[in-house]
Amino acid sequence: MVKLTINGIELEAPQGELIVETVKRLGLEIPVFCYHPRMKAVGMCRMCLVETGFKQPDGSVRMMPKPQAGCTLPASEGLVVVTDSEAIHRDRKGVLEFLLINHPLDCPICDRGGECPLQNNTMAYGPSTTRFIEMKRHLPKAFPLSQYVTLDLERCIQCGRCVRFTEEISGDSDLAFRFRGAEMQPSTFQLTDFESRFSGNVIEICPVGALTSAKYRFRARPWDLETSPGVCTECSNGCNVWFDHRAGKQVRINGRANDGVNEEWTCDKGKFGHDWYNSTSRLTKPLVRRGDQFVPASWSEAYEEILAAFADKGGKVAGLTGPRVSNEGLFLFKRLFSEAFGSDNVDHRWRSGPVPTGPVPRPLPIASLESKRHILVFGTHLAEDLPIVHLRVRKAWSQSGATVDVAYSAANEVERFAKASLRCRPGAEAALAKCLLGEAVWSGKATVSDAVRAELAGFNADSAEEKSGVSGATVRAAAARLGEGAVVLTSDRLLDAPEPPSAWKSLKALAEATGSEFVCYPTGTNAAGAELLGLVPDHGLSTWQILEGCKDGKIEALWLVEADPSSTHDAALETVPFLVYQGTLENEAMAYASVVLPMAAPAEQDGTWTNCEGRVQRFRQAIAPPGEAKPAWRVFAECLLRARPSTPFFNPGEVMEEIARVHPVFAPAQYSLLPEEGALVARESLVGEPAGGGG
Amino acid sequence: MSFEVFRDVVKPIVAGFGITARRLAEQKVTVQYPDERREQFDRTRWRHVLTRYDSGLERCIGCSLCAGACPARCIYVEAAENTDDERYSPGERYAVRYEINMLRCIFCGYCQEACPTGAIVLRKDFELANYEREDFIYTKEMLLEPIRR
Ligand code: SF4
Ligand code: SF4
Ligand code: SF4
Ligand code: FES
Repeated sequence: MVKLTINGIELEAPQGELIVETVKRLGLEIPVFCYHPRMKAVGMCRMCLVETGFKQPDGSVRMMPKPQAGCTLPASEGLVVVTDSEAIHRDRKGVLEFLLINHPLDCPICDRGGECPLQNNTMAYGPSTTRFIEMKRHLPKAFPLSQYVTLDLERCIQCGRCVRFTEEISGDSDLAFRFRGAEMQPSTFQLTDFESRFSGNVIEICPVGALTSAKYRFRARPWDLETSPGVCTECSNGCNVWFDHRAGKQVRINGRANDGVNEEWTCDKGKFGHDWYNSTSRLTKPLVRRGDQFVPASWSEAYEEILAAFADKGGKVAGLTGPRVSNEGLFLFKRLFSEAFGSDNVDHRWRSGPVPTGPVPRPLPIASLESKRHILVFGTHLAEDLPIVHLRVRKAWSQSGATVDVAYSAANEVERFAKASLRCRPGAEAALAKCLLGEAVWSGKATVSDAVRAELAGFNADSAEEKSGVSGATVRAAAARLGEGAVVLTSDRLLDAPEPPSAWKSLKALAEATGSEFVCYPTGTNAAGAELLGLVPDHGLSTWQILEGCKDGKIEALWLVEADPSSTHDAALETVPFLVYQGTLENEAMAYASVVLPMAAPAEQDGTWTNCEGRVQRFRQAIAPPGEAKPAWRVFAECLLRARPSTPFFNPGEVMEEIARVHPVFAPAQYSLLPEEGALVARESLVGEPAGGGG
Repeated sequence: MSFEVFRDVVKPIVAGFGITARRLAEQKVTVQYPDERREQFDRTRWRHVLTRYDSGLERCIGCSLCAGACPARCIYVEAAENTDDERYSPGERYAVRYEINMLRCIFCGYCQEACPTGAIVLRKDFELANYEREDFIYTKEMLLEPIRR
C-alpha cells in the first residue's frame, strides 16, 4: 500500500495500481478511450490525461510541468494527482478536438449513437463546435469484416482496443493495424474474413461506432430498446447477457459482467445466435392431429389427449428432453412421469456413446481454472464446445503463466498457445488416454491398482505413435506435466468418441493417479441441471433404449421436449403410436406428432438454468411468449394437476422451493436466496450412475 | 305589469338587444368554418409532415431522434439500409416504418427540434378529427409529403 493524494483527497492504494482504477474507486471519473480494465494499458489515445506531482520531504508538492496519461500511471508513494483542473479540462478538449477532426460525426445514423463513449466524452469534456473547416478524411463505410462485424473506417479513433482484444483475450490475433498515422486502419492483414469465435466482443468494446454488428445494423437505437438481464441459453457456459428487446421482439445480445462466468465476454454463438426468437416458424398454438392434419386446439383438449395416452401406462411411456429446459421444467417433467404416469423412462442425454458410470467429483468453478499450474484439455474442441471455458484456460496461460496441453483429433484453437498438442487420430482418444496413463505409471509418477496395471500392458509413450498417432516424446512430456495443481479437463464430447467408457475411465484414472483434478463439463445448456435433478432413468430406459423401444413397439407414447431425433431415429418416431412434440420451433419431429405443444423460450418465462460448473442462474421473463405458448414447467404442472389433484404450483419460485426440498443441493437456489450472480450448487456427481445403451 | 317584472325582465332584454344592435355595425371576428378558414400564426404546430429534398428523396434517415425526444413516446421508427437500386434517402439509412400516434401527441414540436435533417415538421393542418382510434396512427405514407414536380 502506498499513500497518494487525488484531487486533495489522501488515500491508500496498492503499489502499482493504475491511477484510472484508483480514481474509479473514489467515485470520480477519468474519461478514457483506449484503456479497458481487462486488457493491458497502452496509453494510445491520451484522453485520460491528469496532472501529477510529488510530495517533497518538506511537505510541499512539486507538480510536473506536463500532464500524464492516467491509464499508464502506477500508484506510488507521495504521488499527487489532479484530475479536475482548468489545464486538464483544456487538455481533454484538445484531445477530443483532435479525435473529432477526422470523425465523420454521423451520429444520427450510427448504431453506436446514444451509447457511444466518444459522444459521451465529447458532451462532457469536449468542444461544442468545430474549428475544422477543411475536407475530412474519407474512407470506406460499412466494410464487412465478417458476416457479423461491420467496419466503418471513418469513425475509428485508432484506440487499438479491438486489435488488443484479439491478441490478449481471444488469442486469434486476427485484427491488426495496417498503415500508420492518419491512414491507420484496424482490419485483418489481407482483408480476409475476421474469423473469430469471439468477434462480437469487439463491437461492444469499440469506443466509437467503427465496429458495429451486421445483425443489429439499423435495427434500433439504444433508447428504443428495453434491456433485461439475462443468461445465454445457447450452450452450457451460462454467460450473463443483456437481452435487448423492442416491442416484444428480441433485438440483440450484449455481454453482462459476471466475474465467475464470462467476465464480460460472449461468444459469437451466443451473441448472434438468438435470432430464432423472432422466427416465423415459432409455434404459437397447441395442435392436435386429426387424420392427416393438425388442427388448432385449446390447451385443455391437448391435455386430455395426452393424459389419455400417458396416464398410468407405466413403463410403456417415455419422455426425452432437450438441453434448453429450465430446472423447474425438468423437475416437474420427471415428477409428471414418475407420479402421474408411473414411468421411469426419462432421459436428457443425447451423446452417441454409452454414458460412463461412477461418480465424478464436483466440477471446478470456471474461475478457479485461472489459478491452476497446468491444464490438459482432452478430447474436446474447447473453443467450440465451451467457448467461455476456453477463454479462461487461455487467461490462465496468458496471465497466470499456466501451461496448457491439448489432446484432440483435429485442429483447434487451444493449439495456438498450448505447450504441446497431442493431435491423435480421430477415434484414438481412448488409446491416447491409456498411453498417457501407462506412461505415468511406467515412469513411476503414478501408482494404480494391479487390475488397472494389467490393462495398461503395452500402453506407454513408445507405443503411442502407433496406437494413437501422437509421438512418444510428446506423450512423455505431457504425462510428466500432470500432477499436483494440474487439471485434466474434458467435456461430454468425449462421449461421442468410440469406446467412451474406456477413454473416460483411463482419463479419470490418469487424473487421480497423478494427483491432478479431473473435470468433465457438460455441453448441453442445462445438462448439469438435468443431471442434478435426476433426469436420468434410475432403472428405466435411457435415451437410445427408449428410441429403440419405440421401434419395437415397447414404448406406446413418447413425449419430446425441445428435442428432435428425427434425423437419426425417424423410424422410432414414425412407429411410436402417440408422440407429443413440445417445442419452440416447428421441426421435422412434428411430422410424426399426435399433439404439438408450443413452448415459451427462456427469455419468455421466469426460471433458472444450471451452467456447466453447476451455477444456478435466474433468467427473469423479458418478453411475452408468442401466441398461446406456455413455459414448459407450467405445462407439466397443469398436466400433473389434471392427473393427480394436488396443491398447484403458481410460479416457478414455488417449484424451486419444492426442488430444494427434494434435492437439498438446490437450497441456495431458492429465489429468495439466489444472488444476482447465481449460486454454485454443491454436488457429488455430474455424469451420473447408470449406463445408457449404445447409440 | 308590476314594476318588478319591468325592472328584472323587460329592461335587461331590451338592453341586451341594444348591445347586439350596436355590435352589428362592427367588424365580425367569427368565420364561416368550414367554408372559410382563419389565417394561422406562423409558428402554429399541428399535423406533422415528413418533408423531402428538392430532388424528391426523403429527408428522414430513420434515426429515431424524434422518437427519443418525444415526451409522449408516440413516435415509432424502424430503419433500414438504402441500396443503390432502392434509394429512399441520401446516405446509408432510411425509415421503413414511421408512425405517430396522434391521440398521444401533445404537439410540443420537440420532434421537429430534435430532427437532424429537418424531416419531421409540424404544419398548420389542424383538422385531425376522425372516427376510429386506429385512424389516428399516422403512417409514413400519410405523413410523407407528395413529390413535388
Ligand atoms: S475500430 Fe474501434 S476499437 Fe478498433 S481501433 Fe478503431 S476505435 Fe478502437
Ligand atoms: S409534437 Fe411532441 S408529442 Fe407530438 S410527436 Fe412530436 S415530440 Fe411527440
Ligand atoms: S424524422 Fe428526423 S429525427 Fe425522426 S427519424 Fe427521421 S430523420 Fe430522425
Ligand atoms: S485511456 Fe489512457 S491513453 Fe487512452
